[in-house]
Amino acid sequence: VTTTKCRRVLVVDDNLGLAENLAELVELRGHSAVVATSAEAALAEASAHPPDVLVTDYRLPGMSGAGLVRRLREAGVHAVAIVISAFTDDETIDDARRAGAAFVAKPVALEELARLVDGTSST
Amino acid sequence: VQSPTFLENVKAYVGFDDASSALLREAHPLVAPRFGPIVDDFYATIEAHAGARAAIKGGAAQIERLKGSLMRWIDEMFRGPHDEAYFQRRARIGHIHVKIDLPQVYMFTAMDRIRVQTQSVLRDSTAFDAEKAKRVATALDQILDIELAIMLETYREDLVAKNRTAERLATIGQLAAGIGHELRNPLGVVESSAFLVTRRLEQLQVSDASVARHMEKIAVEVQRSNKTISDLLELARSRPLSRRAVPARTLLDAAVPAANLPAGVTVEIDAAPELTLDCDPDQLTRVLTNLLINASQAMGGRGHIWIDARRESAVVTLVIRDDGPGVPADVRPRIFEALFTTKAKGNGLGLALCRRIAEAHGGTVTLDASDRGASFRVVIPDVGAAP
Repeated sequence: VTTTKCRRVLVVDDNLGLAENLAELVELRGHSAVVATSAEAALAEASAHPPDVLVTDYRLPGMSGAGLVRRLREAGVHAVAIVISAFTDDETIDDARRAGAAFVAKPVALEELARLVDGTSST
Repeated sequence: VQSPTFLENVKAYVGFDDASSALLREAHPLVAPRFGPIVDDFYATIEAHAGARAAIKGGAAQIERLKGSLMRWIDEMFRGPHDEAYFQRRARIGHIHVKIDLPQVYMFTAMDRIRVQTQSVLRDSTAFDAEKAKRVATALDQILDIELAIMLETYREDLVAKNRTAERLATIGQLAAGIGHELRNPLGVVESSAFLVTRRLEQLQVSDASVARHMEKIAVEVQRSNKTISDLLELARSRPLSRRAVPARTLLDAAVPAANLPAGVTVEIDAAPELTLDCDPDQLTRVLTNLLINASQAMGGRGHIWIDARRESAVVTLVIRDDGPGVPADVRPRIFEALFTTKAKGNGLGLALCRRIAEAHGGTVTLDASDRGASFRVVIPDVGAAP
């Protein structure tokens, strides 16, 4: 068990239930979490309060998770980025990685996600 | 199986009737002494053509057996009776040609060898007067064309069956991609909520056996649903193969642990260390893992599995055999169909996936006839110079 410092985590998923649960899991690890259900809301939240970690679904309405990561980078937000998706084709994974994000497949392996959020696993 | 209307139809079309049948019967004693050379010529021609030869995988021993069959085939063609039972037998033989992947072009050309040879024997004979000889020759042409029509029909029936399977898989694929992804999220919510409830109860120091059992059930069933979705998505997606020479031992070393077999199941492997397969190792490991899981489940988690790997020229055969109850005769024809299952907890995708992967390799997965247990045979050919 690694002790990690409290990080500010932004969880983005258009499924509110899933976003809330991921946020709660992150909080159980001792971090603080906020939830957004669209890329726009995430961008607004991140500009107001830049997160340390971004956890986002790949398929968001209007924009991909990788696109969101790129927009945040452009806005000067350099959070650790984790893209999650049920689509595990090479294209999706490559797109996420090119945007500078780690990729986690759905169903989400909670331990893997926790390690990435804690920063105990290299992205 | 040919329908009677099909047969009556072709007979009527070419004008083959009882008189034609009688003429062939009359010609039988004239041609019979030449059956041997005709059959020899037939197989010599096949052996001289790589594309035809490829359909005969059993070497000289198989050719000897086939010569016996062809001898009876010609004998019966002259002797008749050219009734429904006759045509049913011919159709079965036609299906064997399809099954062994004899290209249609060789089915036609091989029939031409028989036509030319038998007609030439008749022409050289002086037993019939000119007019009768002509009628016998016509009857022979007619029956040979009927034979071709039957064989063509068997190829067509097979193609229709294959298309049906392909369509079914494509439909499953579209459904899987849509519904599968749609179900991932709600399942993710159920799974994480169950996890969070468990954590919350721990926090509150609530310990209740019934609640714990229900939470465990939720977790197990969510996992099973996720597995079904993964299998469906895997079946739907036709990933290109990335083939290379892989030691059989390497595949088995990956497949056996991945099957996560219970302690009551022992696996005995007979594979030479130097034996390699020309395959996509990830996909073939999946085939072997699925077959091992099936065997273990069929045996109720207790018994023996034998894996036998060997090479015969350009083909590697892996046989996975168990000492379980075997596959009941009535379900044997259907076990490779997608969504067909006899397991209470099966999703009916495992064997369909195995077959799909083997066929992508140009190989096969089949169920051997066996008195005891089930025996699955995976055949993977080297690609080499073949198309």
